[in-house]
Amino acid sequence: MSDQLSSRTTDSTAAVNPVQVDLAGDRTSSGAPSPTLLEVRDLRVNFHLQRSIVPAVQGMTFSVNAGQTIGIIGESGSGKSVTARAIMGLLPKKTAEVLGSVRFEGKELLDLSDREMRQHRGKNIVLVFQDPMRSLNPTMRIGTQIAEALHSHQKITRADAHKRVVELLQMVRIPSAEQRFHEYPHQLSGGMRQRVMIAMALSCGPKVMIADEPTTALDVTTQAQIMELLRELQRELNMAVVLISHDMGLAAMYTDEVAVMYAGRVVEQATTKRLFKHVRMPYTRALLDSIPSLDHPSLEPLSVIKGRPPDLSALPPGCPFSPRCHFAQHKCEESPILETTEDGDRFACWFPL
Amino acid sequence: MNEHPHSLASGEHLLEVRDLVVEFAVRERSGVKGAKVQAVSGLSFDISPGETLGVVGETGCGKSTMARAVMQAARPKSGEVIFEGQDLTKLSNKDLQDVRKHLQIIFQDPFSSVDPRWRVKNIIEEPLIIHGAGNPEEREKRVTELLDLVGLDINIHGNRRPRELSGGQCQRVAIARALALSPRLMVCDEAVSSLDVSIQAQILNLLIRLRQELGLSYLFIAHDLAVVKYLSDRVAVMYLGRFCEIGPAELLYLQPLHPYTTALLDAIPNTGGHPSKHHEELGIEAPSPINPPSGCRYRTRCPRAQERCALEEPQMRFLAPGHGVACHFPNNSNTSEPRD
Amino acid sequence: MALSRYPTVLPPMLAERVSNFRQTAQWRRSLDIWVPAGILILLVLACFFGPFIFGLPGPNAGSLLDARLPLFSAGHIFGTDAIGNDLLSRALYGGQISIEVGLGSMLIGFVVGGSLGVIGGYRGGILDIVIMRLLDMFLAFPSIILAFVVATFLGANEINVIFAISFFTVPAFARLARATTLQLRERGFVIATRLLGARERDVLIRHVVPNVIPSLMTYGLLTVAIAMFIEAALSFLGLGIPAPQPSWGSTIASGQQYLSNAPAIVLVPSVFLFTAVASLNSLGNALRTRIESQ
Repeated sequence: MSDQLSSRTTDSTAAVNPVQVDLAGDRTSSGAPSPTLLEVRDLRVNFHLQRSIVPAVQGMTFSVNAGQTIGIIGESGSGKSVTARAIMGLLPKKTAEVLGSVRFEGKELLDLSDREMRQHRGKNIVLVFQDPMRSLNPTMRIGTQIAEALHSHQKITRADAHKRVVELLQMVRIPSAEQRFHEYPHQLSGGMRQRVMIAMALSCGPKVMIADEPTTALDVTTQAQIMELLRELQRELNMAVVLISHDMGLAAMYTDEVAVMYAGRVVEQATTKRLFKHVRMPYTRALLDSIPSLDHPSLEPLSVIKGRPPDLSALPPGCPFSPRCHFAQHKCEESPILETTEDGDRFACWFPL
Repeated sequence: MNEHPHSLASGEHLLEVRDLVVEFAVRERSGVKGAKVQAVSGLSFDISPGETLGVVGETGCGKSTMARAVMQAARPKSGEVIFEGQDLTKLSNKDLQDVRKHLQIIFQDPFSSVDPRWRVKNIIEEPLIIHGAGNPEEREKRVTELLDLVGLDINIHGNRRPRELSGGQCQRVAIARALALSPRLMVCDEAVSSLDVSIQAQILNLLIRLRQELGLSYLFIAHDLAVVKYLSDRVAVMYLGRFCEIGPAELLYLQPLHPYTTALLDAIPNTGGHPSKHHEELGIEAPSPINPPSGCRYRTRCPRAQERCALEEPQMRFLAPGHGVACHFPNNSNTSEPRD
Repeated sequence: MALSRYPTVLPPMLAERVSNFRQTAQWRRSLDIWVPAGILILLVLACFFGPFIFGLPGPNAGSLLDARLPLFSAGHIFGTDAIGNDLLSRALYGGQISIEVGLGSMLIGFVVGGSLGVIGGYRGGILDIVIMRLLDMFLAFPSIILAFVVATFLGANEINVIFAISFFTVPAFARLARATTLQLRERGFVIATRLLGARERDVLIRHVVPNVIPSLMTYGLLTVAIAMFIEAALSFLGLGIPAPQPSWGSTIASGQQYLSNAPAIVLVPSVFLFTAVASLNSLGNALRTRIESQ
């Protein structure tokens, strides 16, 4: 495994491919060539509801290469989960209008029928959910469930599937994998169930993993273990990872690039190191400030973002964050344009910090 | 005997919990029925008027069970819960009704803690009606006051149903309802855990403001250490039904004495970008309360565990005023690792 | 309410794909409720007011001279039965009976069964066990046999038929109410209300019952259909509404022998019965889907 692809977080000045997408469609890269596995361009999702059209995602653009992680950070209503489901083709066809382009290894996914998409889903691109208790079948043994994932994508004998499942359980560091094979989800702890979910996701050797709030439902110590596990697995399998979360701390530690979303739009996007060194968007700054950190003196009021998360069906004109922004001015009634700096960072604000 | 059993002599605690034990029957993995689990095994703590005690612990440590036991929603097996001078465990359900005016609870999921078919103003009015407080006009006035206190407006929000509110707003409604009868102690059981980060900050600030304006005490239970520390005067760390460390908030974080506290602190993702050092030692599986390890319950995950730890369960010892730890080999406060 | 507009200035679209999204028209989405509801309303109106509005002859006013007239005969749009009675009239009057029986047994089940289920479910313990075992006894019998037995015992008339069918609807509603109550009992707001100091009675009336009723209501529609069907079966077997009062079931029964030369005698009431039951089922399902998705 090439070193360039495997070093992460602590050393961001190493020869990592800067992730850049020139809007004209060419790709520039420096360092060793590594394939852009997933390329999302100007993804838009509109939900056509009974009385309104809700623009859930407006213009999401990013790409991930093998061995890299991009974090999509936002609160509820930001559009991050919708983005994940749009990429996987899991949005309801009747109400969700999906525009833009999602390319996996150069092939356009949004044009595929459900049957064609199923070839990719679970095999090349996998989605790990937040709450494993909801995604695991409580009446089936976990070994059987993972085997089911194997059987649905390849011809494999039961004996081979069993072996592979045990291998997978070991890969996610579940002790006594042979015995665990026969257990039911409710017999496992939350952290173990999430490992089972990850094992299921890895069963067919995916190239891209989308993790939608994978640790939100877990304790802080389990979270650390699962994130470390994901990091190791990514290195071993050279996967591209899209990490969706609301936790800036996780983003800081486990991603190469971060895109901050608000009200369906990307408001700031940069490599992780650069983002945390220089936060440009007031929302990102406010988000960081409103998290009580251990160093924050007790009982001193947190700097709060006033107001509430936006109602997507009734957005104000211009910048969606303006009603809550300390620095809002008249110009903010005009939608800020997403600007790109020379390094390839992006932000959408008239008055960046 | 006090003439007024509800007023406290000066210096007395608002809440005193002694040796609280909560058990329930569980079906074991192998299908054996009737095994008993001690979710809470002998907790003792006090809360003074106006004080906030934070309780931190991970899933399965029994903190929510403790909250319910204090409220007498689930009756404890043994122990005392002395609130305003009365032992709640000895009161009948009927007598408890009166006490409930002063002891209230906020739950984690605001939407399931209110009736989805009711309107906001009725939800808040309900405790007043239950306890026969005032006539309809007085009640309406009080509801308006309460909504105002939590930052909502009766004209805007009063007629709405919970599903028309956001998570933060709904939690405010739950808080307003709990405040209706002027409680003295509020138990917050993961009250902000299911809210967005920016809303969480708002609700925390609200809780602080209410504490100052109304002189409330809180028993604040959560799994997020930073949040707990932010709100609390003292913090207790809970593991498998027992406290392993208790002390003033700032001190606990700067100089943790128990290895579990240190592990928890290290596991917090931080924007500095340094990964946790201790996660491997913690092992894959948290032991379950059904079969706790002998001696010190934490020993199976502790980097410093020794023979003594398996033989003898450590008792809470106060190494500094107000700062206690239950460990045979606590962190040496002189040489504890610097926190960055 | 106007459609909300997109934000005023959208950044220009960059990707080349064109979407072929077609939005399902709004009115079509509610068809699954309004079609069966409309049919049912028409049916009820027709059965109770139709005979007056259309000036139909009475259900037993026929003469042998007009026996077995085919469809679309003069003065008898659906023809006549073996003794000359107008089939449409018999169908409509018979419908009155069926609707009354259906509604009656459903209401008894709803009120009595619902109450038993809520009380048993909330209290638990011995009370719950006793109630449920008693009701289980009745549920163990196939509903038709049960009604059969009761009707034989009590004698056949409309009230007794309603009573007999209630032996089925009461346990059925009780079971559903109990299950819903058991779920509700653990919900946050029920616990919260108790912790506010409310008495058990208050909690039940204010919070549990109002939340149980919606699921009972959708089940209620399906129960009406079942009750109608049981009544028809009873009458078919001669145990229900006695002649000469018409009922869909008895008309079908007596028309069997004429199936080859005057099939309308069987078909007309059958179509009515089918329409009623199918509409009730569709409406019940559509409402349940609506409520669940909320």
